Amino acid sequence: MSAALSIPTATARADRARRAWRIVLAATLMGALVVGSAILCRVDVVGFLPGLFQGLSVLRFFFPPDVGSLAEMVGPALVTLLLAAVATPFGVALSILFGLAGAANLSPAWLRAPARGVIAVERALPEIVVLLLLVAALGVGPFPGVVTLAIGSVGMLGRLFADAIEEIDARVIESVACVGASRWQVVRYAVLPEVMPSFLANAIFRFEINLRASVLLGAVGAGGIGLELQKAMALLEYERAMMAVLVTLALVFGAERISDFLRRRVLEKGGLR
Amino acid sequence: MLVTEFHHLVRLAGEMLPPNVALLWRKPGLFETIGTTLAMTFLGTVTGCLLAFVLALVAARNTTLHPALRSATRLLFGLERATPNFVVLLVLFISFGYGPFAAMIALAIGSIGMFGKLFADAIEEVEAGPCEAVELVGAGRWQVIRYAVMPQVLPVVVGRSFYAFDVNLRAAIALGVYGGGGVGFELQLAMKVLRYADAFALILLIILLITGMERVSDAVRRRLLPQGVLK
Repeated sequence: MSAALSIPTATARADRARRAWRIVLAATLMGALVVGSAILCRVDVVGFLPGLFQGLSVLRFFFPPDVGSLAEMVGPALVTLLLAAVATPFGVALSILFGLAGAANLSPAWLRAPARGVIAVERALPEIVVLLLLVAALGVGPFPGVVTLAIGSVGMLGRLFADAIEEIDARVIESVACVGASRWQVVRYAVLPEVMPSFLANAIFRFEINLRASVLLGAVGAGGIGLELQKAMALLEYERAMMAVLVTLALVFGAERISDFLRRRVLEKGGLR
Repeated sequence: MLVTEFHHLVRLAGEMLPPNVALLWRKPGLFETIGTTLAMTFLGTVTGCLLAFVLALVAARNTTLHPALRSATRLLFGLERATPNFVVLLVLFISFGYGPFAAMIALAIGSIGMFGKLFADAIEEVEAGPCEAVELVGAGRWQVIRYAVMPQVLPVVVGRSFYAFDVNLRAAIALGVYGGGGVGFELQLAMKVLRYADAFALILLIILLITGMERVSDAVRRRLLPQGVLK
């Protein structure tokens, strides 16, 4: 805008030329990345539309959903829900430990560094990788699923918790420490009241994430509605698969609503206090 | 339970150690595999975020064509968010066969729900002043979007798209396990044929890949955003 208004001096022209050059460079780079990725991904431009129509025509096999199988879906759906419901508290407990250990204003450096390291590695580790390992060790079933989700919560919740503790006003901690509080009393009377509402809200959000993940993990061996869905797809029972999808949607949608409601309540009213 | 079964974990750890790091330079085509994972993440993010942005224009109160369209798009976002990624993938396998192409489309579709919502919210929070100013000098709907809305939301959209890349990279590895190809598929293969030392090397590779790409995308975003290059 400003370039258009000013008198086109030599510098302005050079500026505009540099700008144009930059745009060309960025566009070329982007184009090269897209083409390169398309080749690696084996993108099939010609087959895209036929594939799309084929997919859409297959979609009609999914309807009407097999309502009769709804009764058989309730059990697996409960397993999925339980998986998330059991794993989240364990994950929260682990996260509190790692969060306290990873906060610079509470824990000594020799404890903080490894705690932060574990959190960082866990964050980089997709849940499915952890589950593959645990299934290899413990066999298929809900138990490795629970452990996976509990461990999986540490990367996110532990980090958020540690960061929140580090952001606490130092005066709050000092004032409690000044009247002779021990380290645990500082945690109990200065740290927890400060960070609890946001931590609770994050934990509720994590439950929602865990529920989604537990559907996904189900297909790899944790059981539940994910397994049911994958079985139905593998057996080409698409109507039954559709029913499983609908049950999943209801489960996740419901959890999202409830977690939204609870989070808003916790954040407005200050949680447990 | 974990206590009584703990020796299984110890046994597995024994089989995984030491990681077969030599795999990284011995295994033919491993770099292509890594490239595949990165490529499907990149393409999925780019197409997904473009789609999400277009839909977000429809889903935002101040730019939508019709209120009914707005609610319909919002509902679509909600449904998409509730659908697990791999359900989409399973259906796409029917259309496009196993492999990275289907996984890439699944990632693109998977980006729509969450990032469409975020983009739409960003568009709705745009300041009204510039929009009215542009409108007053006679701009049509598209010109308002181009000259008043876009300059305001583009930094947010680009920033979120980088975040989408990070999210999608993790998802790409998971989708790979289900048959989408790339590093996830290699890992699943190594586990299935009980080559745990190879699997451990691949897990280390995945950790490196994810933390490394996070750094890269952070650096690129920092260079791109504060300069206002995008306006």
